Amino acid sequence: MTDIYTAVVDIAHAPLNPAAALEFVSDPRFGGIATFIGRVRQHNHGRVVTGITYDLFDPLALRIFQEIGERARAEVGGPLKLYIAHAKGSLRIGDFAVVIAAATPHRDEAFRACRLAIEAVKHEAPIWKQEHYVDGDSAWSEGCSLCEEHREAELAAAQQSKQTHGHGH
Amino acid sequence: MKVRVTLFGALREADPHGFVEMDVPDHCTVATLREALQTHVRNHAPSISENLIKRSAFASEDEILHNHRHVPEHGQIAVLPPVSGG
Repeated sequence: MTDIYTAVVDIAHAPLNPAAALEFVSDPRFGGIATFIGRVRQHNHGRVVTGITYDLFDPLALRIFQEIGERARAEVGGPLKLYIAHAKGSLRIGDFAVVIAAATPHRDEAFRACRLAIEAVKHEAPIWKQEHYVDGDSAWSEGCSLCEEHREAELAAAQQSKQTHGHGH
Repeated sequence: MKVRVTLFGALREADPHGFVEMDVPDHCTVATLREALQTHVRNHAPSISENLIKRSAFASEDEILHNHRHVPEHGQIAVLPPVSGG
């Protein structure tokens, strides 16, 4: 489907490119474009972060990005162009980790499609984040289970936490 | 049958090659493979928590394979710890 672009970008070769995302989704039919850009931040849970390593299972990640795009199209219920790209490899503070762009005739569908896509990428795609700290320590982020026995309970717990504390990841 | 389980994320620390190979019964389910992997990790990488294997999913290049599914006949499968993209 040419209206959905998906990519895993090894940043040893090239950074993510938000301008390319805007160019892909631009279309005379569409008056609204919503974008989400995720960047590596310097602090997490009170620790000073010096960089991040992203590990991905590329073929399944691309397939799931495509499924997310189809779901966003169904949610919008009309024309949509969607760009989903995620970085792979070693990133420094400020590097782009993920770029999403959604274009639709009007702003409401664009915001909804963009939000759906980034939340699904974070919670469903086979991507793992390892943080590196200033003291030389490293840790893999805890993450969301994709295992059916655990997934429902963890999503319910996250929903509960969101209502009381905000969703932290 | 011999199965090669590709490792990702925190589970990469179970083996520096990035995969483990195990013998499992022919046509076995993912649930049986999960038990075999837990035993393997307990014996070869005891620093990895059993809970991490319990919370992990298994997958082919095309889809998540839940516990009732059969291990692919080509013997290639991936184990996916909880995900943290974005």
